[in-house]
Amino acid sequence: MALFSLIRKELLLLRRDLHALLLLFLMPTAFVLVMSLALQGSFASHQGVSLSYYLVDEDQSPASRSLATELAASPGLKLQDAAAPLDGLREAVRADKAQFLVRIPAGFGAAMMSRDPKPVEMQAGPGVEPPLYALFAARLKAILGGLYLQQSLAPLGVSNPDLGVADRLLQEGSFYSEGGERPSSVQQSVPAWLLFAMFFIAVPLSTTWVQERAQGTYARLRSMGLGPAPLLLGKLLPYVMVNLVQVLLMLAVGLWLVPALGGDRLTLGHAPGALALMALTVSFASVSYALLVANLVSSNDQAMIFTGVANLLMAAVGGIMVPRFIMPAAMQAVSLWSPMAWGLEGFLDVFLRQGGVVMVAPQVLKLALFGCACLAFAAFSLRLRHRK
Amino acid sequence: MIDIQGLSFRYPRAERDAIQGLSLKVREGSLFGLLGPNGSGKTTLISILTGLLTPAAGRVRVAGHPMPAEARAAQTLSALVPQDYAFYPRLTVAENLRFFAGVCGIPAVEREGRVGEAVAITGLEAFRQARAEYLSGGLKRRLNLSIGLLNRPRLLFLDEPTVGIDPQSRQFILEAIKHINSAGATVIYTSHYMEEVEVLCDEIGVLDNGRLLAHGSLQELLDGGDRGLTVDLAAKPNLKQAKALKALEGLKLQGARLSMARCDDAELKRLMKTLTAQRLAVSRIKHGYGNLEEVFLHLTGRQLRD
Repeated sequence: MALFSLIRKELLLLRRDLHALLLLFLMPTAFVLVMSLALQGSFASHQGVSLSYYLVDEDQSPASRSLATELAASPGLKLQDAAAPLDGLREAVRADKAQFLVRIPAGFGAAMMSRDPKPVEMQAGPGVEPPLYALFAARLKAILGGLYLQQSLAPLGVSNPDLGVADRLLQEGSFYSEGGERPSSVQQSVPAWLLFAMFFIAVPLSTTWVQERAQGTYARLRSMGLGPAPLLLGKLLPYVMVNLVQVLLMLAVGLWLVPALGGDRLTLGHAPGALALMALTVSFASVSYALLVANLVSSNDQAMIFTGVANLLMAAVGGIMVPRFIMPAAMQAVSLWSPMAWGLEGFLDVFLRQGGVVMVAPQVLKLALFGCACLAFAAFSLRLRHRK
Repeated sequence: MIDIQGLSFRYPRAERDAIQGLSLKVREGSLFGLLGPNGSGKTTLISILTGLLTPAAGRVRVAGHPMPAEARAAQTLSALVPQDYAFYPRLTVAENLRFFAGVCGIPAVEREGRVGEAVAITGLEAFRQARAEYLSGGLKRRLNLSIGLLNRPRLLFLDEPTVGIDPQSRQFILEAIKHINSAGATVIYTSHYMEEVEVLCDEIGVLDNGRLLAHGSLQELLDGGDRGLTVDLAAKPNLKQAKALKALEGLKLQGARLSMARCDDAELKRLMKTLTAQRLAVSRIKHGYGNLEEVFLHLTGRQLRD
């Protein structure tokens, strides 16, 4: 009976806490929307990336024209109008107005087969990220390789070698879908930001608990005979419910709101049981962690700062903000200790790898153990506090 | 109702005991005033009696239940009204009361009745749907009190229940406490307002440095201890009169003022006889303590505690 009253009270308090509601529901919705729509181009298989470049052809030979044509025909590359003189174009790229400058020097075509070739100059803007630099350079090298092959085979009478052979020799695909589709941005954003939001439950939970202690409400509840177990359960259960509502809301955003705004639709995978299991264990872990933090801090300021900073760190380390695969090996090893990383892996198992309960079991186990440890420490610190 | 023998308690890492060998009995139905300066041990004592703290030594029984072994049983019979506004500001008066009624274990069918009873005693009927955060200081104090009445306690601990409110609200709360006490509840009342304790309490205990310095009715406290005497004469005595007065043991004469640090009834009678014989007129006389505040300051000293 006391537990039911505690749960009801907690839900009533949350309903009237506008800041908490914004933090728990509006913030992750905004994150999912923005990240899904902003990253849509990067993930969509039919669009690819878009890299802009200036081309200055000082050679005007058949080889240089062929290079220009091949480059312009490359998917994801966009030729910018190069009306300005060369120095002006260099300044524009230096200012990141276009990402690359390609200059074909005079004599490029004629000297291609000589011992002293005239190399094509490629310059990137300072804002170009390393993977994009590598992508552009690889494309340019492939075209140059083709041109070299063409000129090498010309004396043998082969005037038009088949340069598209590589497309036939490579069959592309993704394990995400048998139809060859690749995951969309919403497929990555929803689990990542959902997880981030679920762990943010520590903010309202810890601040309300600190207030209860400061206002004497906590002492009053204890004088009414409430021990650590109902006090902890009275927080755990309602906040787990809130976490599950967050899950449903984020899934609804991915399923209906993102597509309505022109983005890709979230697909839920084929294992609703595994998804529910992940949602429950992530929720148990995040609320238990929040209960531990709430018991350790002694003021609202401490609660706000600790939970905020700790969540950002866990998110950064856990692959929410920066994908784990691009981290250095040492950081990847560290990230294996972030509960957010376990949660993200579990959700990605369901959303991307079409996994079921068996596939998510290791992550579920780690999260459940983490939750149990947090809850045990929270109960221990609560008992210590009782003795003071 | 309360029986304490040789109670001691020390907080972790504290240099001295917060309660030192305290013994006290509070009879059932009493309205007991617990007085003491800040840091004297009042809140610690109440925390032990309500089961929030575990004593290091001594024997404590609350309503017949040994503490802390049977704390849960004692807690169902008692209620604590802390000095802080120990409720939820974002909940309404009714929601707060329903919540605490649920925590007390009052069955759902009885809950509305108990809530109605509590708001009636504390005059909160018109504010049932008001959010607690928007109530005035006096109404918040009344809500704080009404939560303590939900389980119809046989023993009610009130920790400074009238701090920071206007005289009307204070009067209302004092009347409510009298009503609760007259209905049979034992009340332990702590306050720094001595005049409240004088009019309200039938028993008073003065606590300082974790020790019980005095315990009894108001009259017993006023009559007890080393009663001093101050007599202001109408005129300064002449040499002969002064010599006669100085013959009285322990008496000091400064101008027209006579004083004695201790003066029992026999000494007072002798002084009166001497004054009459010497034809000395008295303009003002003060013997013993005039009020509880004087007793309190005499027992606990005038040194600042905070």
